[in-house]
Amino acid sequence: MSSSRRSRQASSSSRISDDQITDLISKLRQSIPEIRQNRRSNTVSASKVLQETCNYIRNLNKEADDLSDRLTQLLESIDPNSPQAAVIRSLING
Amino acid sequence: MASADKLINTDVPEKDVFALHFLRSLSNLRTQNPLNSPDKSIDRVRKIKKAAYVSMARAAGGNSRLWSRALLRRAAKDDNKSVRFSRRKRKVTWKISSKRRRSNQRAPVVEEAAERLRNLVPGGGGMETSKLMEETAHYIKCLSMQVKVMQCLVDGLSQK
Repeated sequence: MSSSRRSRQASSSSRISDDQITDLISKLRQSIPEIRQNRRSNTVSASKVLQETCNYIRNLNKEADDLSDRLTQLLESIDPNSPQAAVIRSLING
Repeated sequence: MASADKLINTDVPEKDVFALHFLRSLSNLRTQNPLNSPDKSIDRVRKIKKAAYVSMARAAGGNSRLWSRALLRRAAKDDNKSVRFSRRKRKVTWKISSKRRRSNQRAPVVEEAAERLRNLVPGGGGMETSKLMEETAHYIKCLSMQVKVMQCLVDGLSQK
């Protein structure tokens, strides 16, 4: 199943124009808060965008790790009678 | 060959969709693992992190995206605890797909950066570069949405 998907992608990717690549790169650029406007050639800025994207994803993964940690601690120590617990209960059951 | 200018959509659902999926995941965890279970703390953290990624993949559209499909498949394999064998299989898959991808190479400096990105995006190993970028744009939007949801939850629970 995965091999047929890959061959499908190989044939459809030849139809993706360079305009769409540029469009995707600009979309990526917009999604990343740190990246600054780059006046250099398209190739250089494309590689820089991809690099920044890698860093951004690594940061998000790290944040998710830290938040999972904190969330675990908070959920363990939550007092069942507190207002927070009531809010969570209503959100889950509602 | 002139291409049909298909609109590449990278829109993601609203934050409350992610929040709802995540809370449901958490409540399922609670049902399976009552508070006084003998689970080690690090296992609990791992379960919550996994719930975060799985609920994010579901909120983002489940099987409609390559990255979410790959993430959910990986999570299902983890549950069956056949991780070692499936990891070896995946490495072979990457070798085959990189041979196919060579026919669609962009500039080497771009491909080099794309390779690093492939290791970070679920299912990236089998994607051609342009598809990879489309999936990545969607993935990072969803990931940042999920992080926001978790931050809100932490903030809400931290108030005294």
